[in-house]
Amino acid sequence: MSDQMVSDTASAPAVARRRGLSETWFAWLLIAPAVLFTAVIVAWPLLETVRLSFTDATINSESWVGLANYHELLGSAKFYVVVGRTFFWMALSVSLKLVVGLIGASLLAAAVPGRALFRALIMPPWVIPIAIGCIGWLWLYNGQFGFISGMGQRLGLLDGPFEFLAYKRSAFYSAIVTDVWVGTPMVSLFFLAAMQGVNRDLYEAAWVDGAGRWYRFRRITIPQIMPTIISMALLSAIWTFNSFDIIYILTQGGPRGGTTTMIIDAYKTAFGNYNLGEGATRAVAIVVLLGLFSLAYLNILNRVNRHYGVK
Amino acid sequence: MAPLQLQTVTKSFGAAQVLIGIDLAIHDKEFVVFVGPSGCGKSTLLRIIAGLDEATSGQIIIDGTDVSRLAPVDRGISMVFQSYALYPHLSVYENIAFPLRVQRLPEAEVKAKVARAADILQLTDKLPLKPGQLSGGQRQRVAIGRSIVRNPKVFLFDEPLSNLDAALRGDMRVELSGLHRDLSATMIYVTHDQVEAMTMAHRIVVLNAGHVEQFGTPMELYHHPATRFVATFIGQPNMNLVPATVLGTDAGGLAVELDGGPRLVLPVEPGAARSGDRVEVGIRPEHATLGDGIAMKVRVLERLGGVAITYGIMSSGQRFCAALHGDAAVAEGDTISVGVNPADCHVFGASGAVLRRLKAPVLAA
Repeated sequence: MSDQMVSDTASAPAVARRRGLSETWFAWLLIAPAVLFTAVIVAWPLLETVRLSFTDATINSESWVGLANYHELLGSAKFYVVVGRTFFWMALSVSLKLVVGLIGASLLAAAVPGRALFRALIMPPWVIPIAIGCIGWLWLYNGQFGFISGMGQRLGLLDGPFEFLAYKRSAFYSAIVTDVWVGTPMVSLFFLAAMQGVNRDLYEAAWVDGAGRWYRFRRITIPQIMPTIISMALLSAIWTFNSFDIIYILTQGGPRGGTTTMIIDAYKTAFGNYNLGEGATRAVAIVVLLGLFSLAYLNILNRVNRHYGVK
Repeated sequence: MAPLQLQTVTKSFGAAQVLIGIDLAIHDKEFVVFVGPSGCGKSTLLRIIAGLDEATSGQIIIDGTDVSRLAPVDRGISMVFQSYALYPHLSVYENIAFPLRVQRLPEAEVKAKVARAADILQLTDKLPLKPGQLSGGQRQRVAIGRSIVRNPKVFLFDEPLSNLDAALRGDMRVELSGLHRDLSATMIYVTHDQVEAMTMAHRIVVLNAGHVEQFGTPMELYHHPATRFVATFIGQPNMNLVPATVLGTDAGGLAVELDGGPRLVLPVEPGAARSGDRVEVGIRPEHATLGDGIAMKVRVLERLGGVAITYGIMSSGQRFCAALHGDAAVAEGDTISVGVNPADCHVFGASGAVLRRLKAPVLAA
């Protein structure tokens, strides 16, 4: 009986040998569907984008131009403005999501009556389709009929109707607010889950030793959920960097480019002006920047995990 | 380093009464163990003393002060948790220093206090490490170190050894007893392990279903259990309880006939027992020896070297356990006879109350 079981568990390479396949080829055979799938969905479009970036492709013509697109892009002052704006967009939005998410999670973790209801109530921004949420915000930001402009006037904060999406600066911060509104619930839920995973004895031990609420939060909760904070910061940073739908629905990158981030720039170049080659160049720039960013971040994450005693 | 009194402490969760009128007076520098089966309320009682849970009614008095309404930190207690509750992100040094950091003591004072605790607990070379790099016993010591630096009036321990393996548990028992001697502090220790209770305690509180069954020294509990519950809870293997019928009483004791066994004259105060009453005779396995007396068929034999734990069944169907000499000439399947000294026997009335033994060993305490 046990001999039979041993030979069964050892049978995969044995089968391979019987069929005349080496173990390596058998392994390749097993992962082939996944490799094929990845190649079609990820690798081919990526390689095609890189190839296009060396051409001056438009809808109906294409010729090889070498590094000309890169020369042009890296030599353009406008590009650096867009890169700067993108990083500012990412840093501000992610910081707000983390801070608001942390406050939200702390409130949701508190033992108050009806907290299950509150936990359900924070979900809508994340659950409803972004397009629908954004249409709601378009209405809120509207100067003539919008709630915010109206309330601002009633409270005497605004002299007259204010079109939030009509000015470079206000449009940018309005888009940030909407992006934070969409992104915070998930961050909050992850933080809440991490907080609930902290051993309650730690809090009781600290309480016995005289640590107050804020002290316990600062010296137990924050360090204990730090790996989650770092992971959420990384993921949220990548999503926010590439956040397309919210900006495009609210402002299409305007007014006068005031909300044009790298991803919007790439889209408008490729599909607004049909300069597929130049658009691809911008897309490659995004991949490179995000790649470097992710590498740095993973490095930090590893160090943080080691520091906080997580394997 | 202070006496502690509990006055009619009760605790209810909704309709469920967890603790029923607990009265205890614990002396200064005493090592008291709360012992009892799961759910008896021993941990709840400890948490109420600590201030982590609030009593439904009653007072907790530490060193003459009613602390019942005070926050844990103001009660002069410190607590060691079953899970150790060490902060995984802090070094051993910072874990021990935690209560001092809360108090915002100057660095030099923190350093001196941590160094002293580490010295007592032999943790000095572990101070830079994280708890994750320590063994179970070392983590336990760090948790104790965190208690020591607070210099509390009363140390509270909630099943501190239950996460350790058997060998380490034995070592830590000895260490804790030594620590108690060195610190000469009042300590309250919760466990479900009667060996820990017997070996470490000055006095033991046996809790059952939310009330105190008995509060006394280990040997009092062993020789003079107040109730049937205490008698069976203390002692390993458990005391045999053999049903019997009272044949008669006189000043010298009680004559009984064990069901499926011999007649015995037991030197106990007969109290209200009358001829024909049903009682239970308690016989500790270690008091049974090969000899004339109770006949039983051996079912299972556990030879531990020094002793042979012999599990048998009497002709009445009653199970009986005898801890015989390690080399006793018995085998599974044998029918043997074991004798008992009547002076060693306990007698319990129908209500579970004990009839006082007249010839039990005189207790030193």
